[in-house]
Amino acid sequence: MPAAESHVAHHFPDLEVQSHAARLGMWLFLATEVLLFGGLFTAYALYRMLYPSAFHGASRLIETSMGALNTVVLITSSLTVALAFHYSRQSRNRLAALLLVATIGLGFVFLGVKAVEYAHHFREGHLPGRFYRYAGLQVPGASMFFTVYFLMTGLHGIHVIIGMGVLTWLAVGAWRGSYGGDYTTPIELGGMYWHLVDLIWIFLFPLLYLI
Amino acid sequence: MSAETEHKHAGPGRYVAVWIALLLFTALTVALGRSHLAGSWGLPVALAIAVVKSTLVVLFFMHLWDHGGANRLVLATALVFVALLIGLVLLDSATRFPLADPPTEATMRLMPPGPGAPPGVEPAAARP
Amino acid sequence: MSPSPASIPPAPADAGAPLYLERNYLNARRGLWSWLTTLDHKRIGVMYLVLTSAALFLGGIFAMLLRIELLTPGPTIMSALAYNRTFTLHGVVMIFLFMIPAIPGIFGNFFLPLMIGARDVAFPRLNLLSVYLYLTGAAIALYGMIHGGADTGWTFYTPYSTTTVTMVWPILLGAFVLGMGSIVTGLNFIVTVHTLRAPGIGFMRMPLFVWALYATSIIQVLATPVLGITLLLVAVENVFGFGIFDPARGGDPVLFQHMFWFYSHPAVYIMILPAMGAITEVLSAFARKNTFGYRAVAFSSLGIAFVGFFTWGHHLFTSGQSTVDAGIFGVLSMFVGIFTAIKIFNWTATLYRGSIAIRTPFIYVIAFLFFLLFGGMTGIALATVALDVHWQDTYFVVAHFHFIMVGGTVAGFLAALTYWWPKMFGKSYSERWGIVGATLIFLGFNFTFIPQFLLGNEGMPRRYYSYPVRFWPLNVASTAGASVLALGFLVVLATLLLSLKYGKPAGPNPWGSRGYEWKTLSPPPEGNFLTQPTYPRMPHDYDDLNPGRGGH
Repeated sequence: MPAAESHVAHHFPDLEVQSHAARLGMWLFLATEVLLFGGLFTAYALYRMLYPSAFHGASRLIETSMGALNTVVLITSSLTVALAFHYSRQSRNRLAALLLVATIGLGFVFLGVKAVEYAHHFREGHLPGRFYRYAGLQVPGASMFFTVYFLMTGLHGIHVIIGMGVLTWLAVGAWRGSYGGDYTTPIELGGMYWHLVDLIWIFLFPLLYLI
Repeated sequence: MSAETEHKHAGPGRYVAVWIALLLFTALTVALGRSHLAGSWGLPVALAIAVVKSTLVVLFFMHLWDHGGANRLVLATALVFVALLIGLVLLDSATRFPLADPPTEATMRLMPPGPGAPPGVEPAAARP
Repeated sequence: MSPSPASIPPAPADAGAPLYLERNYLNARRGLWSWLTTLDHKRIGVMYLVLTSAALFLGGIFAMLLRIELLTPGPTIMSALAYNRTFTLHGVVMIFLFMIPAIPGIFGNFFLPLMIGARDVAFPRLNLLSVYLYLTGAAIALYGMIHGGADTGWTFYTPYSTTTVTMVWPILLGAFVLGMGSIVTGLNFIVTVHTLRAPGIGFMRMPLFVWALYATSIIQVLATPVLGITLLLVAVENVFGFGIFDPARGGDPVLFQHMFWFYSHPAVYIMILPAMGAITEVLSAFARKNTFGYRAVAFSSLGIAFVGFFTWGHHLFTSGQSTVDAGIFGVLSMFVGIFTAIKIFNWTATLYRGSIAIRTPFIYVIAFLFFLLFGGMTGIALATVALDVHWQDTYFVVAHFHFIMVGGTVAGFLAALTYWWPKMFGKSYSERWGIVGATLIFLGFNFTFIPQFLLGNEGMPRRYYSYPVRFWPLNVASTAGASVLALGFLVVLATLLLSLKYGKPAGPNPWGSRGYEWKTLSPPPEGNFLTQPTYPRMPHDYDDLNPGRGGH
């Protein structure tokens, strides 16, 4: 316990209250992220309602198998980050660090797949707004699908990159043994952020790829 | 509290079980999406599967199963307000005077053909 | 204006306390660096006080420029474009740099921990970050202002905002960053209330200002992200032309209005709820009576926060929104009136048979009640769809929301500032000049905005730099009132600043208030309390002063 006591800030009575505060703060932050994406989901819902057939047609221009592959990648990365937290609680810091590195690696795989997809869209002209130039699908609303697609996956991709940055910092800390035992709050919170990234993708995948 | 301590020391088995369940649901939703078995129910079914998957992630990966109270309330409130935003915007769109919408397949038919229509909107038959 | 007949008995706990604590949070550490890196919530509150007051001053200058331009029917001192830019800057500065951060940033930061017996907020570093986010956002917005400013109005309606050639994106980005600061503050307050209440302060024993801040924080956390994504989308559309809200590319501009007002209507409650909370504290202290209906006042704050999310569509009545939606939003908007009325009735009941001491803060309370009633009633009228079609985009709307924002929020801000000034800085200001300033503000405000109700009702539209000659007399009256209002602000500023140098030590509890925040010394020591206070009574408990009148 003495090792953990040093992590308690002066205005908290004990570590348990501090961990509770940190967790609640993180959930509030995740709530803001949900609302942030909520705006984009609203735009998606409205435009899908206005342009049902255009969305259906445009969604066939993106490759379902790529989206499914990325879903598997992100779900697996959620498992590894959850396990990292688990082993960090048991103070198996090196194992936790390796699992965090694996998570970051899966993040790179996700971004790589996304980059392949984006490159394909740039070649074919499946682009938002005034950049849309794909001759195979010229109906009103087709460009709106790609506007929404790029905004949603783009914002999600930014979150993936931020998450990877956070996980890198955590992996270094875990390797050095900064966490462990009763003090695992940073890994728990970083993991929650990564799970949120996974959560958003769980909804983006059917909405964009499977309609 | 005793239940919480118990869960904290639950082995990695639970995480792996959730992971397998998530993979199975992913396979299910892809299969349904490809085969178009669900027909016009495709989107609701896909969303229902997504809700189940996300519930698993939230409860077990994000430990909301163990840490209830205010944390659950925060997430629930956020979801209620997202639903509120989407719901009332869609209700507006569904009941709106059609010509107040941007030009769509539906409103195109209400518009006289002519140079005033935005590019890409005029019916294909009107093109030379 | 004579001192009240009832003398103010000092609270028993004050016996033996020094009149002025020599080593306090202001001078425990010295130097500019100690301020820039401080994690002390009280110093952060003072930093917000300086910054938001500067913003109020800047926004006030823009307001005076607008009123001078409207002094004559034709062009007076500026062109149409300059006028458009000026009212945009007035709105942006007042709303994003003053109204939203002011009361939570200053008094929330300073007093929330004191009121729940905590030594700091839950996340002091995030708290400091919020100040820097504020500074960054303000700097980005100022950059845009210097390089031409925007001419879209603070509402940034598309498609105009995505096609105008003025500098919209820095102002959007600035508002985005300011929103992040607002989220951080709200998040911090919610966690603080949940985890750092001192023993003895249950949820149902928190001071009502804390309840108001808690409700405000919920709105800040849940609504601000939607503004963030909306402003980002406009900026993306403005720079890249993605067609998100552009009807020529299939976008729906009404979607922008939905998303914008999903934040910006609840934002009105971000502005007014903390003011209501502060008013509750001040009113109870100067009526020397328990707040009538503690639970009703506490829950009505949550009620306003909740219902405030269901009303945004009343800004879209004439924007092509469906009549079904308009009807629903019109009805739901009325519910805000119910919760506000609960507060007003409870305040009135608190005053009833109280031993009222008419001091400077109390004059702002009376002004607040008048303004809120006036602004609230016209708000109910505006939420009626048929009436709104008549008044939409006229000066009636301008006068209505200035009654809520200036009359409500600024009066609440000034009540809080004059009430808590002795606690924050340990000095008493001149009561005479305080009352002069409050009276000037009350009169000037009425002369500014009551003519605008009349102008709007006669059909004068907002956001034009010229107008037909028949509107001239009322516009002159409004400009004259605005000048008195500005003078009032200068008097208040001078009174308070001079008190820092010449004011007498105030003592720990100059008003005889029973609020928990008065249990520490003036100014508070660095760690908030020399000894942890105990909380045997409810906040606002004056029962022993009112024997036989019954507690509530």
